[in-house]
Amino acid sequence: MSRAMPHVIFIVVFLGLWEFVMRRQWLPETFFGTPSGIAAYLWDGFVTGRKLWLELGYTLVGTVVSFLLGSSTALALGLVFVMAPKVEQAMDPYLAVLNAMPRFALAPLFLLWFGLGIGSKIAVGTSLAFFIVLANTVAGIRGVSTDLVVLSRSLGATPRQIFFKVTLPGAVPVIFSGLRLALIFSMLGVVGAEIIAAEHGLGQTLSYLQSTFNMNGVMALLALLAMLGMLVTRGMTRLEKALLKWQ
Amino acid sequence: MAAISISGLTVRFGEVLAVDNASLDIGDGEFVSIVGPSGCGKTTILNLLTGLVPLQDGRISLLGKTPSVGNPDVAYMLARDSLLPWRSALDNAAYGMEIRGVPEAERERRARALLAEVGLKGFEKHYPKMLSHGMRQRCALARTFCLDSPVMLMDEPFGALDAQTKLQLEDLLLRLWGEHRRTVVFITHDLAEAVALSDRVIVMSARPGRIIADMHIALERPRSVRALQHDKHFLEIYARVWEKLEEGLGNTAEVMT
Repeated sequence: MSRAMPHVIFIVVFLGLWEFVMRRQWLPETFFGTPSGIAAYLWDGFVTGRKLWLELGYTLVGTVVSFLLGSSTALALGLVFVMAPKVEQAMDPYLAVLNAMPRFALAPLFLLWFGLGIGSKIAVGTSLAFFIVLANTVAGIRGVSTDLVVLSRSLGATPRQIFFKVTLPGAVPVIFSGLRLALIFSMLGVVGAEIIAAEHGLGQTLSYLQSTFNMNGVMALLALLAMLGMLVTRGMTRLEKALLKWQ
Repeated sequence: MAAISISGLTVRFGEVLAVDNASLDIGDGEFVSIVGPSGCGKTTILNLLTGLVPLQDGRISLLGKTPSVGNPDVAYMLARDSLLPWRSALDNAAYGMEIRGVPEAERERRARALLAEVGLKGFEKHYPKMLSHGMRQRCALARTFCLDSPVMLMDEPFGALDAQTKLQLEDLLLRLWGEHRRTVVFITHDLAEAVALSDRVIVMSARPGRIIADMHIALERPRSVRALQHDKHFLEIYARVWEKLEEGLGNTAEVMT
């Protein structure tokens, strides 16, 4: 409680000052909005009007699907790479080119291929999550101590036992930090793609509010996205701590 | 019959002759150390016994069999503790038995007993990260002795420990070896350690590795490594082995110049 106190005081003073400056019309409200206006927008969006729940839902579903799709394919390909380094050598230059490409530049293409709906958003999110998890999977598995593998072999462990008892658990910390990043990047991809063109989603709403000069709405959405990002990171960190107690 | 019999062993790595025509018999239940300067091929001999390095030239018989990876007759211990960081001390001690298919209840019973023997009672649930270096190597000793393999191959198991901890673990190893008789091949570059622990010390020359001395260590058992540090007889034997080792170094120095 006492630790949170300075923050509470700071935020109250900051918002109060902001509101005061706007009421006095020292700054144009069209560009900055007001804390009371932002609160009113959020209240209407989540409590009375409830329109924001739907948009939030679109963004969350897009994020989760992108994350699952991107990380599962990347995990699978990462395993293939480790088991067959030749495949990795063959594919590496193409993957490097794809990874170097700014993903949002692909958004127009994805819009044509997957439509204005959630499909194109998932495509952008997946393409971002995929490469992060792929790199971490390969690095994680390669980084597993050879001592542990040698010891297991000397004990007579089968390749399957070595994989499940040594390689995989040994790679989990690195893979996990990749997954955490991938979740954030999935959201980034989905929101970004929504801003470019969409029917629904927080990104689309943000873009619409901006074009109609609804600054209270824009500020509310930005705050919402920041909170969402933080929640996602926090959740993953919690999960990581619970799973990796030995670290 | 010898537990381990090596004859005419020659190993080349590319152009380099690593081991040159080595022959050696190790009796059942014997504790034999191999010492020599780094690069003399002592670890190579051990890796050949484990089967991790394939036999090129010569013959090795290990309880009548040729070496193979995963041979249940062999328990191998590395210089670093090589504990699985995500397993508790108990699960690490049981790891070898788990791979070798010992039933779970039996595994746990034996692992607990061995952990108590190595002085880790009360630390069963600790992860390796929470243990000191010495404790981790104790846990690795427990894992090794949990296996009922008659032959133990140890590659400088205490090489990474500080002097004090090393003495403690050497005494622990002797105690365990006294209770659960095994044939031990112990690789080290620490002469004092070799003399204090072993029935026989094999001295190898610098590359190409040749066996230049095979010395019987006539010290009474049971021994206390710590007490031996000041024992006159121990120091005499130590000096003699040291002479042999120096000779081995001298020869190669001449060859190389």
